[in-house]
Amino acid sequence: MADSHNAQDAQGRDTQAQVSEAQIAVHWREEEYYPPPPSFVAQANAADPAIFDRFVEDKFPDCFKEYADLLTWDAPWQTTLDTSHPPFWKWFVGGRLNASYNCVDRHAEAKPDKTAIIFVPELESDQHVEITYAELHRQVNELAAVLRDSLGLKAGDRVTLHMPMVPELPATMLACARLGVIHSQVFGGFSGTACGHRIADSGSRILITMDGYYRAGKLADHKVKADEAIAAAAQEGQQVDKVLVWRRHPGRYASGTPMAGGRDVFVDDLLGGHRGATVEPVSMPAEAPLFLMYTSGTTGRPKGCVHSTGGYLAYVAGTSKYYQDIHPDDVYWCMADIGWITGHSYIVYGPLALGTTTVIYEGVPTYPDAGRPWRIAETLGVNIFHTSPTAIRQLRKLGPEEPKKYGYHFKHMTTVGEPIEPEVWRWYHSEVGKGEAAIVDTWWQTENGGFLGSTLPALQPMKPGSCGPGVLGVYPVIYDEDGHEIPAGSGTAGNICIRNPWPGIFQGIWGQPDRFVDTYYRKYNTDPDSTDWRDWPYFAGDGAVKAADGYFRILGRVDDVINVAGHRLGTKEIESAALTVAEVAEAAAVPVIDDIRGRAVEIYVSLKPGFEPGPEMESKVTAAIETEIGKIARPKNVWIVPDMPKTRSGKIMRRVIASISNFADVGDVTTLANPEIVDDIRHHVQAAKVARDDVPRELTEIEFEEIKKFGGE
Amino acid sequence: MGMTRQYVAGELSVLLEHVQAVTTTEASGRDAWSLRHAAETEPIAALGSVTVRALALTERLCWDSLNRGDTAAFLRQAAVSAELHDFGVYACLLEET
Repeated sequence: MADSHNAQDAQGRDTQAQVSEAQIAVHWREEEYYPPPPSFVAQANAADPAIFDRFVEDKFPDCFKEYADLLTWDAPWQTTLDTSHPPFWKWFVGGRLNASYNCVDRHAEAKPDKTAIIFVPELESDQHVEITYAELHRQVNELAAVLRDSLGLKAGDRVTLHMPMVPELPATMLACARLGVIHSQVFGGFSGTACGHRIADSGSRILITMDGYYRAGKLADHKVKADEAIAAAAQEGQQVDKVLVWRRHPGRYASGTPMAGGRDVFVDDLLGGHRGATVEPVSMPAEAPLFLMYTSGTTGRPKGCVHSTGGYLAYVAGTSKYYQDIHPDDVYWCMADIGWITGHSYIVYGPLALGTTTVIYEGVPTYPDAGRPWRIAETLGVNIFHTSPTAIRQLRKLGPEEPKKYGYHFKHMTTVGEPIEPEVWRWYHSEVGKGEAAIVDTWWQTENGGFLGSTLPALQPMKPGSCGPGVLGVYPVIYDEDGHEIPAGSGTAGNICIRNPWPGIFQGIWGQPDRFVDTYYRKYNTDPDSTDWRDWPYFAGDGAVKAADGYFRILGRVDDVINVAGHRLGTKEIESAALTVAEVAEAAAVPVIDDIRGRAVEIYVSLKPGFEPGPEMESKVTAAIETEIGKIARPKNVWIVPDMPKTRSGKIMRRVIASISNFADVGDVTTLANPEIVDDIRHHVQAAKVARDDVPRELTEIEFEEIKKFGGE
Repeated sequence: MGMTRQYVAGELSVLLEHVQAVTTTEASGRDAWSLRHAAETEPIAALGSVTVRALALTERLCWDSLNRGDTAAFLRQAAVSAELHDFGVYACLLEET
């Protein structure tokens, strides 16, 4: 590829992924394959290898008709993929459908008594609740009537939801979808202030919340956050007209906060006037927004990812069918929170689009003990289980022997959200899965709608620590900073990108089109005028390596880490703190070997023109780091230098200054844009260290390798 | 960007709400609020340093309570601190020590 640009988000932060290859070499050795159990293969939705032929690149984008055909359309689409306004891709253009109809009505008509949702309250003494598709249909219709007739909401309006893990949450989402109203669910555990910022950004005039919910055995007051949210939104100029409050126990208000007259209304009171109402689902264009999902990722304005109706729903239905292997008769439990994209895609929209039974658990997985998830699985007959490595690590630590006490049997398990260490994967496989389940390790992001990297469970073997290859119809690639493709099997990490659009891709950042292009597409785009999708690779922002077998190992958003006495400090954070000092132009944090703490931080800064170095400036930088991060990150030394050693593309060569700090060989510097600066810095730093009797001991071979590769280049 | 690790920010926010609840002064309450705000808004890569700062805050709270002889407050704060530390380890925000 041609000239590349360092992508920057709207706050000007460098968003390039930097990966420590020393870390990869040490921690990411090749693992053995695990074949799926024959019993799984025999029943799998995708067991015929011919499926790969149907999704080869030559058949893109029409291959995704197979996913769209899982849905019921009011009107067929004319164009599968419209690339006329890149990178704002439009899928299934001309098609019309309703998400609520697809997730509720068509199953309620065919199998009204089939259980749609099983709600498990956190208190174990409370019975679980089974909601049939017919019952869900009734709830969604009555609630849609409230939204339309009592509140005057219509297609395109935004409504913010700040709800816990209760069945009223998917019912509310689906009621919005029935009207074409765009829902924006904020994770229930977030503060009211965070919710308020999202209300303001989306322009919602309605907030739907709940009075309380159970967490760790206590009924938490949730409504109090609504008042905080309204105030935060008002500060940003957004007025909220109505707050609808569900009651965790209907008829009994659980919050200590008073209801605001004229603004706050109990949902169960409103529903009383709409009993038995039916609301015709609004036929929506495929590209109409279905929901907003906010992500953090910057210190500035939140990013509201806009997900479409047709493309998104088709993609989550398709990946639920083939990668989650969901059949209508399965009992499927994803232990995520619906407040995140995983919950939207793989608790609500994907499973319900396929007409299966989805489990919703209210509380924390270790309440009252680490055996709770396995008791739930046994009681409900769960046969597909889906959770995060963080939860697996916790359950493994707190109850390693618990799974074998219970008589559940999973045919399929998923890990989602972050890379999983091979030894943790093996515990998940052998203890939680009892060696009977196929596991899919998935890689994707809030912005993506559904999985991007995974194994097709009956057809591709599992490999601990690797998510697998690109999923059907998705063609990932790893680029270096200059846009050159890094070949499979090279052991070299780079930026994982997706070469092609896919139906689940978000349509933009709400109200920030330039930020969308700059953050996700500018970095590797070769021609801004091109309408050929091949010129617009999607920049995911994650580091990865591709093995010779085509499997990807995702390294996450791996900024270099300096491990100080067990605390993993991101270099980007330390550098950002230094940059809060107004006089500082550039900053680079590097590790120095420290016999007591393992590693200590040294920071190099260059100043803006007109400012002079000196002890006062060094103290300002130290104070800024202590204030922003804490004493643990206090730099051992602050080195004020006239310039940083840089590549020709402007990247600071951290390995060079790390070598200087550690009195190690700096290696080849002839390709730098400013090689002459290296000797200047070395003389300055090393002379000062010698004078202070601060010369580190000689590095071991492993330490030398770490320093030599620090910074990834 | 960066996988789907938003839930880590969410859980950290909940734990920082617990930290807020065991602060004993206006200043420490403000510190806890700032940390929670950081967890909810900063990049996922920043959560490690937010956790470290939060642990330092809980340690300060514990020492203050001990110095005042307020064992009830100390026990609440120590429990929250332990919960925060354990989560940090499970979520790979901290290394197990």
